[in-house]
Amino acid sequence: MSERILGYTDRLSAVPGDVVGFKVSAPLKGKFKARLVRLICGDDSPEGPGLKLEKIDSAIDGSYPARQQRIMAGSYVWVTARAPFDLQNFTVQAMVWPTVPGNGKPQAILGNYDAASGSGYALYIDEQGCLAFRAGNNAPVSTGVKLLSRHWYEVYAIFDAGTGRVTLGHNMMLAYHGVAGSVSQTFTLPDPVGEGGRFLISAWNDDKFATAHYNGKIDSPRVSARALKTTEIERLRDLPLDVELAQHVVAAWDFSRGISTVKVTDVSGNRHHGRSINLPTRAMTGWNWDSSGFDFRSRPEHYGAIHFHDDDLYDCGWRTDFSFEVPEGLKSGIYCAQIWQKDGKGNKTEDFVPFFVRPPRGTATASLALLIPTASYLAYANHQMISSWWFEELSSCKFATMSETDRYLEEHESFGLSVYDEHNDGSGVCYSSHLRPILNMRPKTDLWQFNADTHLTDWLEKLRISYDVITDDDLHAEGVECLKPYRCVMTGTHPEYYSKQMLDALQAYTNGGGRLMYMGANGFYWRIAYHPGLPGVIEHRRAEDGMRAWFSEAGENFMSFTGEMSGLWVRNGRPPNTLVGNAFAAQGFVNAVPYHRTDASRDPRAAFIFEGLGEEPIGDFGTVGGGAAGWEIDRADARLGTPPHALIVAAATDFPDSYHWVNEEMNHTHSAVNGETNPRVRCDMMFFETPNGGAVFSTGSISYGGSLAHNGYKNNVSRLTENVVRRFVDPTPF
Amino acid sequence: MLKIDPSSAESAALARQFKAAPFGPYSADLQKMLQLLRWGFARGRTIIVCTVPYKEWHLGRMGPVRGMKVEIDQSQTFSDYGSAVWACFRARFAEVTGQPCPVQ
Repeated sequence: MSERILGYTDRLSAVPGDVVGFKVSAPLKGKFKARLVRLICGDDSPEGPGLKLEKIDSAIDGSYPARQQRIMAGSYVWVTARAPFDLQNFTVQAMVWPTVPGNGKPQAILGNYDAASGSGYALYIDEQGCLAFRAGNNAPVSTGVKLLSRHWYEVYAIFDAGTGRVTLGHNMMLAYHGVAGSVSQTFTLPDPVGEGGRFLISAWNDDKFATAHYNGKIDSPRVSARALKTTEIERLRDLPLDVELAQHVVAAWDFSRGISTVKVTDVSGNRHHGRSINLPTRAMTGWNWDSSGFDFRSRPEHYGAIHFHDDDLYDCGWRTDFSFEVPEGLKSGIYCAQIWQKDGKGNKTEDFVPFFVRPPRGTATASLALLIPTASYLAYANHQMISSWWFEELSSCKFATMSETDRYLEEHESFGLSVYDEHNDGSGVCYSSHLRPILNMRPKTDLWQFNADTHLTDWLEKLRISYDVITDDDLHAEGVECLKPYRCVMTGTHPEYYSKQMLDALQAYTNGGGRLMYMGANGFYWRIAYHPGLPGVIEHRRAEDGMRAWFSEAGENFMSFTGEMSGLWVRNGRPPNTLVGNAFAAQGFVNAVPYHRTDASRDPRAAFIFEGLGEEPIGDFGTVGGGAAGWEIDRADARLGTPPHALIVAAATDFPDSYHWVNEEMNHTHSAVNGETNPRVRCDMMFFETPNGGAVFSTGSISYGGSLAHNGYKNNVSRLTENVVRRFVDPTPF
Repeated sequence: MLKIDPSSAESAALARQFKAAPFGPYSADLQKMLQLLRWGFARGRTIIVCTVPYKEWHLGRMGPVRGMKVEIDQSQTFSDYGSAVWACFRARFAEVTGQPCPVQ
């Protein structure tokens, strides 16, 4: 595929007065053009409402010099001090748990080697998967013994400048019959080492860049200014350092300190601290983890490992090409910088870089707020399920089908991954940021998350229902205060990922008389954390249970950012039912079906919902599966906290075998797990009142929004939704 | 465990059933066959690639690792998704059984 123009912003949410910085990489020489648009609908499918943009005159309109900006993926630790590591005699050592030894690439463990100048030294794993050492322009030396993946080793290189001898070896922490547990070999290096570059852990230098990224865990790295004896290596494994040898130690990094930060602490007393780049995963079990503690805060000494990946990416760090100061009075909504270039043949490359404009903090310009689920957008950012999931076709019941976005991401590995993916080494992705182009957070993409949510903005605009937008980022940072100006809050179609702060805020809002319209399904499902200091990044661990893309490793269920247990909210004692009555029941992606009214829909309390509707099926049409109930669906369950007075006003139950029951409800495997045989595969539409005059309406379906525009917006899903909105913004208490 | 017999009349009947209704509903036996054709990573196997949104599809294949070009089979171009799905079924049938799909 041709290279695309792409961009991202330095913030997702902005109020008047905020300045949004746009970072652009433009592949064609010359200039690129930009203009500001308000996005009303991004669904350009033949069956959909069509792409709807409103041009907004602004200062960003114009042409800008084009430049390509690089993405440097791969995580590592950069130690600020250089001179202390320019050593004559030295020993470098670490505990390592390599994940892909022998992947055909060198994987640096630690050292100051600079490939550009051919100087310095590095202990690394060579292309064949064997422990190796290189220094200066000397040929690399290797043990020739391939390391096993996902096994702990103590590795070391002992260098004596006087003789040019290096002793290279490893000790395996798990004994196998017939496998040499300890390997040690000595080589002579004739040429000098040289001063090298920056001291790095999990990479080496290529001039000012980091390369040769390692995949796997590293624990307890040490550098000593002496050629230790091989028998002395083990004595520096633990903390506190061996008293006799400590005097020779230049640096001893303890990765269990500052786990929630990017700081890497040297505990040798020499203060050769470092910082992590591109967010390698912290709060990882170390070589000495023994299952006596599962929370890194209770047993920090067992969490001295960092897991590095060659595809980690936090912040592309691109330079800003233009900025936009949000003017006073700009209508709240979804906006994009539309950027494009044309080549000499007239071929166009184009991108829409989205951001969300809200009113000034503490104010509202409408009674209704659309709560944009930016945390869930991040969770899915640049997902590559087609390649990450061995079970993707069995789950979707379709042969893998790549969109243009899927293909571009597959062909360009450096855009970073989502928490639905596995890293190149097969380990799960825990962090996702917006400081990178997110190709599936765009109009004209799959009808999922961002683009599906524009069905809601499109419908609100068509029916002339005033609304503001606020985002998950705002909800997390400001809590219920950012909701208080609104009589009603409408969710997106799939608000799946919630921090505790976000969940607390919504619960406080409904308990305080607010009205909540839950316009999707599988919401409030997974627990995440925002980083307390770094902007624009969330963390998630696939702990214990649920419809998981991957499994957290034993002992790694707690989030490094905050120390909170991750996983499902239901396993954290906060089932979604307690907030919205519904919780995730099943998923299927072949077709969707209509709801049918229940007896409870005739309850006078629900009369307002069905004004103008008859007894016909609700939503036997739509662009997301052909029905209003589908894709992912929720159901009520009193045992999980559905309020006793909740009215299930409509339900859909006619789901085919492509709909699969959620596994967190399956205590034991059995054969009745799909829509044809499992009565829990159902979709409930629900209404209930909350304290202080509030109320909740739950659609329980992701497909629902795709039905709103049917027949020129004249249909029973649209009417029903309008009935609810009109009543929910009415100040009369329920 | 169930195995697809590529030369059996039952397999041919199931392939015809899929061709007639590539998006289902499927009989229980066809569902089992599809599970066997879909088990495992898609990488390295025939997949469907949308080459013009909503208008054009090809069969294709991902490279051995991320970051490589997706191989596009230019020998066939599909203007409707269902035809691409049927072509993918036939390709998978051959990949799994080692024999060509008996239904054209």
